[in-house]
Amino acid sequence: MALIEVSHLAKNFGSFHAVKDVSFHVNEGDVFGFLGPNGAGKSTTIRCLLSLISPTDGDIKFFGKSLNQNRSEVLTRVGCIIEKPDFYKYLSAQRNLEIFARISGKDITKRQIQEMIDFVGLNGREGDKVSGFSHGMKQRLGIAQTLLHNPDVIILDEPTTGLDPQGIIEVRNLILRLRDEQKKTVLLSSHQLSEIEIIANRMVIINQGRTIVEGDVHELLEKQSMNLEISVANPTVFEETIQRDFPSLTARLVYKGTYHIEMEEDIRQPLIQRLVETGCGVKAVIPKRSLEDFFIKMTEK
Amino acid sequence: MMLWKNTINELLKIATKIRSYIGIGALTLLILIVLFAMKADGKSYIGFVTASFEQTLSFNGKILNGNLIAFIIMQMLIVHVPLLISLVTGDLLSGEEASGTIRMLATKPISRSGIVLSKWIAATIYTLIMTVWLGFLSLFVAKWMFGSGDLIVLNSNGLLIIPEADLAWRFGLALIIAFLALWTVATLSLAFSAFAKNSVGPIVSTMSVIILFTIIGTLDVSVFDSIKPYMFTTHMAAWRSVFEDPYPTSAIWESVLILVAHIAVLLGITLIRFNKKDITS
Repeated sequence: MALIEVSHLAKNFGSFHAVKDVSFHVNEGDVFGFLGPNGAGKSTTIRCLLSLISPTDGDIKFFGKSLNQNRSEVLTRVGCIIEKPDFYKYLSAQRNLEIFARISGKDITKRQIQEMIDFVGLNGREGDKVSGFSHGMKQRLGIAQTLLHNPDVIILDEPTTGLDPQGIIEVRNLILRLRDEQKKTVLLSSHQLSEIEIIANRMVIINQGRTIVEGDVHELLEKQSMNLEISVANPTVFEETIQRDFPSLTARLVYKGTYHIEMEEDIRQPLIQRLVETGCGVKAVIPKRSLEDFFIKMTEK
Repeated sequence: MMLWKNTINELLKIATKIRSYIGIGALTLLILIVLFAMKADGKSYIGFVTASFEQTLSFNGKILNGNLIAFIIMQMLIVHVPLLISLVTGDLLSGEEASGTIRMLATKPISRSGIVLSKWIAATIYTLIMTVWLGFLSLFVAKWMFGSGDLIVLNSNGLLIIPEADLAWRFGLALIIAFLALWTVATLSLAFSAFAKNSVGPIVSTMSVIILFTIIGTLDVSVFDSIKPYMFTTHMAAWRSVFEDPYPTSAIWESVLILVAHIAVLLGITLIRFNKKDITS
């Protein structure tokens, strides 16, 4: 069942068309990657999903109901972080959560707030003013705020922006816990393509305000051309072999003795066999079919 | 229900912000300064006012009393209190925009109108508290310091002496009308707040409008005569009419209606603007 359906979404700011035609759907239980280069229209689309921005055209449905006509009901079941979570700095973490809990559409007890503070690892700091919090702590408080009312859908727009590697890992693990333990549906916009590749099962890529591709992450990656990174002991022999026996391939030197090869067909087996036979001194063969390559290819079109 | 819950939130935010106490603190300080000045040099100040009447009138009793001080304070501060009010109310929407919390607020299941109305109710309560505080300090503290007595009012018709027994309801009604005027200012700054991304703009804009309208109101140019009766600044000092004898009932009602109409129109503008606003911050 699709929990989020976006059909032909468009948004103009005056004469500027920020979003031209974006469509995708997020199924129940998905961790859905929402990708696109800067200026592709990701933030505008997400803001439309959360009724921060009124779309110029198109349709948004949550749980099969129009967002426009069921805004309050929908937002009761949605939790979100848009870019960075901002709080009332002059209030404590607990008071901030109390404020957002009061207007979450659900009855949330102080005990539940404390449990959420514990869940994100801010216990002991709940009485401190947010003005003294680091970016990572604010991000954790933002996640607590997002989960406080036990939403069915969680929308995270760049949740790891500005975080240190430890913070990025914490957020990633948290999303995985939400997926595996609580069976939440997560829409995740991120520039961290490796993160999306690890945790998302479906994704959409948008560019210049339009949907480029949507589907299962692994199926999409399977369809794209196979790249290899090959390290050899004899580069001269290697280059001669490629030119002579595989003229359709392009071998790009990445580093001393290490080449990047892109192939339209999967000819790994005959290629490696030939390289071994000619005495290139093959030291390593690393398959390179990453989301990063796929993303670049899709957005360069 | 959601409106009520968010009003509690808004009152909580106002109660925990330092800027909310700047207004109350400044108001308290100003009144205390006036009270101190009157205690120290009030007789010569009153003597200066009554000097022109002393050839024809004989003043007996205590002219410099708490009621007169309260009247003087209200006249002096009604110009400054709008700034102190807009310091808080001009920040209500724009402050959320500047701090980014507007995103968090607007993605909750409360309607945009609910957000505006709860902030407006909170602004109204804050304005009421400021007015009551102004009344308390100027009336009760002044009476405690200077004692009670008849009130001498100098107006365009000359000198009016209002007996002490006839003053309580007049001060009460004057404060209600003053509250209406300040409520209009609070709603005006909230309206500006819906158009701004930080609180400086709404505060400056509110004071600019008050200054501009006040200047237009005092200009003796016929071209403005048709609009003067409808400018809210014309009616901001309507509370003074209560201290006339007989007091002009119809003029007071007209002022009340114009101030209420301003509040309704400004609130409507705020609601329309905020409902249509794309939150891109």
